[in-house]
Amino acid sequence: MSSPIPHPPKRERWFEGKRFRRFRRNPLALAGLVILLFFAGTAMLAPLLTADRLPRGCMRELGLGRSEARTVLRNPAHPTFWRATFAPPESCYKIPRVSYSPVPKPPSAKYPLGIASGGYDIYYGIVWGARTSFYIGVLVVGIVLVIATVVGGLAGLFGGWLDNLLMRLVDVVYSIPGLVLAMVFASIFGRGLIKTMIAIALVAWPIYARMLRGNILQVKAQDYISAAHAVGAGSGRLFFKHILPNAIGPMIILASLDIGAIVITASTLAFLGLGADVGYADWGQMISFARSWISNPGGEPLKYWFVWFWPSMAIALFVLGWNLLGDAVRDALDPRS
Amino acid sequence: MFNYIARRLLQIPVVLFVLSLIIMGLMQLLSPEQRAAAFVTSDKQIENLDLIIEKYHLREGFVVQYKLWAGEVLRGNLGFSRISKEPVLTTIRKRFPASMELALAAFVPIVLVGVWLGTQAATHRDSLLDQALRVVAIVGWSLPTFVVAIWLVAWIYGGLGWFGIGRLPSSLLIELAGGDVHRYTGLFTVDGLLNGRPDITLEALKRLVLPATALVIVVSAGIMRVMRSSMLDELGKDYVRTARAKGLAEKAVVYKHARRNALIPVITMAGPMLGRMIGGIVVIELIFNFPGLGEWAAKAALQLDVTTLLAFVMLIGLIMATANLLVDVAYVIVDPRIRYE
Repeated sequence: MSSPIPHPPKRERWFEGKRFRRFRRNPLALAGLVILLFFAGTAMLAPLLTADRLPRGCMRELGLGRSEARTVLRNPAHPTFWRATFAPPESCYKIPRVSYSPVPKPPSAKYPLGIASGGYDIYYGIVWGARTSFYIGVLVVGIVLVIATVVGGLAGLFGGWLDNLLMRLVDVVYSIPGLVLAMVFASIFGRGLIKTMIAIALVAWPIYARMLRGNILQVKAQDYISAAHAVGAGSGRLFFKHILPNAIGPMIILASLDIGAIVITASTLAFLGLGADVGYADWGQMISFARSWISNPGGEPLKYWFVWFWPSMAIALFVLGWNLLGDAVRDALDPRS
Repeated sequence: MFNYIARRLLQIPVVLFVLSLIIMGLMQLLSPEQRAAAFVTSDKQIENLDLIIEKYHLREGFVVQYKLWAGEVLRGNLGFSRISKEPVLTTIRKRFPASMELALAAFVPIVLVGVWLGTQAATHRDSLLDQALRVVAIVGWSLPTFVVAIWLVAWIYGGLGWFGIGRLPSSLLIELAGGDVHRYTGLFTVDGLLNGRPDITLEALKRLVLPATALVIVVSAGIMRVMRSSMLDELGKDYVRTARAKGLAEKAVVYKHARRNALIPVITMAGPMLGRMIGGIVVIELIFNFPGLGEWAAKAALQLDVTTLLAFVMLIGLIMATANLLVDVAYVIVDPRIRYE
């Protein structure tokens, strides 16, 4: 009889881990995930969902006629379908104008969510606005991570006066309410989506730089860093191969979950008139179109409810989705709970 | 302790200096013509862009411009606000009480609601109530201030016709402008009482309800969450067990013993909460047509009125730094174990 072969310990797959189980059993997290998947689906399928109402400039750049667009954009076998889905021209983000009338029109069969003041199709704005929101969130987090890595990395790596200087800068930026400073920066940079995003990123980075610096200091004190140093690793190699990869994880996760807060700031700036260009599919701006139709217009309260209701619900749900998810992930990562 | 406070006080001007450097520095990204355009108020002036550039030294380097601005500020002149068409300091003096009144009206309910709900959540840990409050907190945290404000305006003011918009009805504002009513504090609720005019106080209070409610909805969630976790910490401690063991009523244990200690960490939330409140006030004043500092700054941002924006940021920086210092001092007073060297 052969001796029993020792069973190799079964490697735990990622979805079997304790953390993931805790996350999966949390109904709030699942709710957040469902909300975000809904918005992600809407954003992905925006060209398909709006195939019958694309603005003229967008159709021209895609090389489609009005009737052609309806069939092509609903046909995944057609290359233009993929182009419209993954790399739509900028002009597709412009909400088509049905008229130039300042009076909103209630929902109808052709315009299911109604028409906002200025003739803007609300349905189109909501669908493409989902794309804008993801775009803003992901890009701002990207810029924030770059700034935070540079500042936090320099401070943590070199220490001394540089650390002191950079951390005082963090304190100063952090001492002013984010929205106030973002408002000033956006005002200086001027209108435009990219400019707004830079303004928001310039305000959002300090907390992550501080976090990364703290993590780097922690990692630097570990034995394996001394070991690598003793073996003769240069400071560049030490930092990029040993310290940074071990310190950067929590910052990336937490910053990505901050998309909700970033979208709040972005939509507030857009509402104030400091966001993307006029007519861009952006939920915050759509609410600013609604400004004069909110409180009791013409003695008929709530007659024009659709102008503010849809975009405000879209923003609230989108942010809620991120925060539900973020809360659950923070809980799952928290070793104390 | 005294040294600590002195050192912190000395840091405040440094913070303001760095802030002004950042904002003035970013202004240099614009060309002199763009910066001059920010001073233009009529079509006629567009032809005279060069004169404006000359007048405000916009072609000079950063150092020269900064020195000019800083020199004026040190002499107590914060400049002229294009938005309100008067010196910045005059506007601040006029509008500060409005924002102050709103902030004060919202502050007490924010703290009470946050502390109360946080206590409830902690004492009913993991029950249905706790779960429900958790959802309420996340929802409150997720709603942008302007969305809450618009919902309140549309449903409560527009739909039901309750409360009001602005600071006072125009008839009373006209009366105030007439000068019969002396403005002691600038807070209409207080001035009404001091002048023996309860109708003014009542109208002003009525118009504070909705904006203050909006602030409570978006700000108190944060306090509630901190209160819940600090309360849970305290309830698990030995002295609570001792109190229960000696037969104290549950109410006395929770409210007299645990909650007092649980409030200490909540004090640290004051700084971030104030920041969130200030951000909220900017938007809320705009939506509720409330003529305070936030509305002024939001309008200045739309037209790149840098003088106004700089003054606003300096003021907010001063308020935040003072508040944070007060929080640190309060911390020592309520918890004598803490020492600053």
